Amino acid sequence: MKNPLSYPFVKFILKKGLFYLIVTFIALNFIFLIPRLMPGNPIDRMIPRDTTDIGRKNLRDELERYFGLNKSWSEQYVNFWSNLLRGDLGYATMSAYSFTPVVDAVMSKLPYTLVLVIPVLFIGFFLGNWIGARAAYAKGKISDAVYYLSVITSQMPFYWFAMVLLFLLAVNAKILPTGGTFTLQFIPGFDFASFKDALYHYILPFLTLLIITTGGWATGMRSMTLYELDAGYILYSRQLGFRNKKLMSYAERNAILPQFTGLNINLNNLIGMTMIIEIVFRWDGIGLLTLTAIQSRDYFMMLGTFILTMVVVVLGNFLVDVAYAFLDPRIRTGTGG
Amino acid sequence: MFELLIRSKKFLVGTTIVLAIILFGIVGPALTRDPLAYNPYNIAKPPSNDFPLGTGNFGEDELAQLCTGTRNSLMIGAIAGCLAMLIAVLVGGIGPYEGGLVDEIANAFTNVVMVFPMLPLLILLAAILEQRSMLLLATLIGLTSWPWAARCIRSQVLTLKERGFIDVARMSGMKDRKIVVAEIMPNMFAYIIIVFVVSLSIAVLTEAGLSMIGLGPDPSTNVTLGSMLYWVMNGTQKSLPWELWWCFIPPGLILTVFLVAVFIMHNGMDEVFNPRLRRV
Repeated sequence: MKNPLSYPFVKFILKKGLFYLIVTFIALNFIFLIPRLMPGNPIDRMIPRDTTDIGRKNLRDELERYFGLNKSWSEQYVNFWSNLLRGDLGYATMSAYSFTPVVDAVMSKLPYTLVLVIPVLFIGFFLGNWIGARAAYAKGKISDAVYYLSVITSQMPFYWFAMVLLFLLAVNAKILPTGGTFTLQFIPGFDFASFKDALYHYILPFLTLLIITTGGWATGMRSMTLYELDAGYILYSRQLGFRNKKLMSYAERNAILPQFTGLNINLNNLIGMTMIIEIVFRWDGIGLLTLTAIQSRDYFMMLGTFILTMVVVVLGNFLVDVAYAFLDPRIRTGTGG
Repeated sequence: MFELLIRSKKFLVGTTIVLAIILFGIVGPALTRDPLAYNPYNIAKPPSNDFPLGTGNFGEDELAQLCTGTRNSLMIGAIAGCLAMLIAVLVGGIGPYEGGLVDEIANAFTNVVMVFPMLPLLILLAAILEQRSMLLLATLIGLTSWPWAARCIRSQVLTLKERGFIDVARMSGMKDRKIVVAEIMPNMFAYIIIVFVVSLSIAVLTEAGLSMIGLGPDPSTNVTLGSMLYWVMNGTQKSLPWELWWCFIPPGLILTVFLVAVFIMHNGMDEVFNPRLRRV
């Protein structure tokens, strides 16, 4: 039997997996250091403002003992990791989640964010690349028009675009709701009515994110395809009399590979964008949870949402790399490159 | 390099618009009213002769807010861009020149930071620091937004390093440090300036986003393009803040024009530095 490590594909995935493990390790150490190195003591924020001085001191001592902050840094560090590995991110102190574990609270909101991020990531990728490639073949005025349109959509501030869409479609035309995940006073359940209601609220945040990401992909794909259409192999195939359709598919295949490497960065940006878009539309995901946690000074929730966002981003990046390894024949077979 | 750049139409158009907006930010605040002068008699009024862009939730002049906001946002962007640029030149420039282990470490560091989701990280850092000044926010943005610039500079140094005149300099016995200062940097100058402008534009975009959700500098004393959006989101006068279109359309429009201009300028520059793209 052949040693599995000798497959370039396996090697590539192991290498990537190790890299992302290191990234996660560094990020989590960072999480440990942030509250300890930055000014502003989180314990002070948990104490109500109208506490007397003696009460404040006692409460602080009590809380420090409770969170193990009176121990040495090395002990705290060991505690931090043992809690993390057990999946314990502490308890929420904010009123809406009083003393439920942070992990549960964040996990309950995660689907709402992923339901925006994942479709936007893929639909935006395919739609944007399709538009970009068509624009490149069209050349002339259409190509230029697509260029400027996609530059504008990809460069405009996404949160502002969300506000404009809200203003036009929800406030003026009144065809879509102004925000929220469900209509107020509506009790969501697992039935068709709540699905329809959520979908109705889903359209605007989804459209905002989709239009912005599509613009970005289209800009890149247009210039990549134009670049490829100029390459020697296309000119030669044209001389040989290949059909246009065949030429297009050749150019497109080569143009799309660098686009795939952009998926990682796009995913990272998209998570951040989604968080802010959620806040604009009051969509009940991680972003809105983070903001309410910040407003109610819930320190564990703030750290917890960041840790889980980080985990989602790292996992997503890893999956994108695996998909890339499948698609790039040079990595799949280990020849060339 | 500049002679080549000036011949690119995209670069010229982009640069002109960017400079115009910078000029607007510098001159505007001197010609308009106090952006923080609250007038209880003019609350949330649509545009009129007296107030060309209307008034906001507290009766402040939106045109004055727009001018001062543009200036402050650009200032935050410039500080953040400078910081990002400095880190990027150190991490992205020295690595490939030194080569070997230094390069490996610098490149791995850039790659690791690149995986960090920048906006969530900024949200977390801004939330922990409760007292945020404009300078502090600019520093935070600068500290988190450099990887992109570091990559650009790294690839540019790598191509420059292979060029003949560097070999000549080395053969003539020039010291490494002198080659970097006297040969590489002058050739990178135009490139660095433009990467700086792009970093600046990213910082402006990020600042406005953070300020809009209330994580920027205190919106009641610091006017930025983001704080204008913040007051639209958190306005008190109307049941639906979105009705105040004159409050949120102008700052977003300025941002859009600025970002598009920077993008086109950067695109024009790419075509100059990468001649194969020129016909695209």
